[in-house]
Amino acid sequence: MNCEVCQLKELEVEHFEIREVLRCILHTIVFHRALGLVRPKDVDLELFEITYVQCGDVELEKKIDEKIDQFISWVEKHPNKKSQICLSFYEVKSKQPSWFTNKTERLYWEQWYVNLNVTQQPKQHSSKSHHTKVVVDPGESANEERSSRRAMVEASLREVLFQIIKFVNEKKDHVPPISEGVIYFPYEITMPRKFQ
Amino acid sequence: MEMDRESGKLEQIVSQFRSKILHVVLDSRVPSLHRHQQQDSLSLSRVRKTDKWFNLVLGDRPPALENLNFSLRNLLDPMVIDIILVRHASCSSSVDNLYSPSAAAAAAGPSTETVIERWVVQYDCPRVFASPSGADASVSYKKIYKKCILLLRSLYTQMRLLPAYRIFRQLSSLNQTYNFDIVYKVSSFSHPFSREEEDGMKEYSFAPVEALPGCLCVSVTYHATLSDFNLEPLVSLPPKIITDYVGSPTTDPMRSFPSSERGAHATSFPFRGLRPPSSAPFQRPHSWSSGFHRGIPPTKTQSLAGSPPVYRTSPKPYDITSPPTDLYGNRIQNHRVSILQQATAYDEYKLSPPFSPSASPSTPTYLSGANPLLTRHCSETAPVTIPLPPTGRSNRYLSPNSSDPSRHSLPPLSPRSSKHDTSSQESPSGIRSYRKIEALRAGESPSGLSNLYSAPKVVRDSKDDSGRFSGLLSSSGSPRIGFSRSSSRLSFQDDMDDCEFSCPFDVDDVDVSDSSSQNTENKRSSEFTAQSNLVGKKSQDAAVGILVHMLRTAPPLRQDSSCYSTRSLRAEYEGGVGIASGFFMPRKTADALEELNSYREMKDLLLSKSGTQVRKEGMK
Repeated sequence: MNCEVCQLKELEVEHFEIREVLRCILHTIVFHRALGLVRPKDVDLELFEITYVQCGDVELEKKIDEKIDQFISWVEKHPNKKSQICLSFYEVKSKQPSWFTNKTERLYWEQWYVNLNVTQQPKQHSSKSHHTKVVVDPGESANEERSSRRAMVEASLREVLFQIIKFVNEKKDHVPPISEGVIYFPYEITMPRKFQ
Repeated sequence: MEMDRESGKLEQIVSQFRSKILHVVLDSRVPSLHRHQQQDSLSLSRVRKTDKWFNLVLGDRPPALENLNFSLRNLLDPMVIDIILVRHASCSSSVDNLYSPSAAAAAAGPSTETVIERWVVQYDCPRVFASPSGADASVSYKKIYKKCILLLRSLYTQMRLLPAYRIFRQLSSLNQTYNFDIVYKVSSFSHPFSREEEDGMKEYSFAPVEALPGCLCVSVTYHATLSDFNLEPLVSLPPKIITDYVGSPTTDPMRSFPSSERGAHATSFPFRGLRPPSSAPFQRPHSWSSGFHRGIPPTKTQSLAGSPPVYRTSPKPYDITSPPTDLYGNRIQNHRVSILQQATAYDEYKLSPPFSPSASPSTPTYLSGANPLLTRHCSETAPVTIPLPPTGRSNRYLSPNSSDPSRHSLPPLSPRSSKHDTSSQESPSGIRSYRKIEALRAGESPSGLSNLYSAPKVVRDSKDDSGRFSGLLSSSGSPRIGFSRSSSRLSFQDDMDDCEFSCPFDVDDVDVSDSSSQNTENKRSSEFTAQSNLVGKKSQDAAVGILVHMLRTAPPLRQDSSCYSTRSLRAEYEGGVGIASGFFMPRKTADALEELNSYREMKDLLLSKSGTQVRKEGMK
């Protein structure tokens, strides 16, 4: 079985937007991979006029929030860097026991890469990232800039969500059969560090 | 036969797939259908048979959907769902329009209909149904089913990303009415769009699901933006207007509140100087507080003060910080009648925690007590003058040595204090306190209080307690003049000051304004119930009062020969202050002796000057 990989469009977000954006994207992906009986739960974003859907599983929500917290703390330690979160779905295959291994094997059949570029508004003097925009004249111009920036992020997020929908629709054959009583496929959220 | 069974499965999948898509689309676009489902919150918790299809729990299907399914039973025909935006011509913002947007729409004139979304679900297959056979069939149906699930997931997500979802949410909100509406049309054919309509529309087709011999196709044509349609709220006024706003200063504060058939709600009222209920939630059983109407736990009462309704099942709020609804106004009327006339409606409500469990109010008592509580609340919050009680009643309390011992649980007033009380403006509070304590006595009196009053004779004869109570309970908070009458009472003064600090709020709590509109008996018993909480505080005051009384009514010094060293002193004291107590005896004796000595010396001096010899009495 081949592993389908989807690289989502890079999003330029500010630090305070990370949580909402990641929640929206990760939950949307999982909702498309929670093929067991679910009661969909609509969630309105606070920062953007977007409603996304959760599968309603409390455990899943908790785990995703934990991973987002880890990501945020990583971003705080490595500011102004492009970052990535990888959501993988796998099947558990039991390996034939041998002398060396007696473990189960994970066969990844799908991987989603969420690409974020976390920008930071310069609160102090030093600012190394060329993405940051120094606000010289506070007031209406700053508000306009902020709102236009917010609209751009919202449009980009919407594009990412459409990208997810398109990917889910176009590639269905690699999805394993649905097991009885299982709500969502086993998944894993990781933060690969192999980028600049 | 097997082929029939297999083809039946496929038909079932296709049929249910169409129904599910219709359900998702209507649920996310048509507010009226959506509201119908929202109200039935209990039904959403259980999983129906229809929910299990494609593992997507959506709740009850709208009844219209079943009819549509029947009319579109030919699965080979497309199912076209048009989401139509109905824009009403601009109309005046009359009150009627607030209640019925559709009526307003009808009255407004011609409206414009625009298809903002068109969903097309079609099972594309050749006319000849050639189903797979054998083991491949079940595998293929599972795959088909899985792919249908995936498609439905993405369709559900996309419904929320398209522009029409935003206006659907606007229409779904109950707080606002708009100049547009969303309706739908389901048919098996579609009128093609005109060129004008096609401009500004986008199309998206979901990947077809192979369902051999054919494939399931879902596509949507939608307006990319709806900003050109001038969609706006009708008016910013709330939908209902009350004609009988309780919070108005001109309204009758004695008016009771409507009963809630579905349970009452936390409320707040914009009385001036309204004390937030959280400050003393259990001491003020107001008729409009949640505790009165139903048994809301105390924490909820505190947290919901001033907030909108608690329960969605009872949508009519008592919160009149924002103007309540007309229905709420009507309810006030009804409730007033029920409160004043009979108590059967009381069964709907639970007693609130503020009322002491030791009190045993009868139902009518409680209900009628709501009004004095209400007025009490008024008097303590709004700047209203506390009316004086009727003179007759005050006289009854003021008259000393009342012949009816049962009516006086406290010592009767002294003549001096009675005079003082009638002249003071703070006497009503003292008198009210008497009434309350009498009410307590009349009904069940807690053991503490009854013990206090079990020394009746001494207590009854005391004449100073009204002054004490009025001093204690006056809103001024300062000691009454009655206690400063004589210097010998300075020690009393200290005691009274202490008592005052222990119950500075007694006036507020026991304060009852105009009693003319109340039944006396009901008021007394309601006061009894209200005061049962204050028994603890009162008993302390009563104890002090009894002590004072005892001290004052103790046998005078002249009657107790053991207090004096010589009998001659008795004559001297006869004309002196008759009020003496054993408590003060040592001091008074010494003072009196000193005084006497000084007088004697003066007398001797005068007599010696005049040459008269003074016969000295041996008193040393």
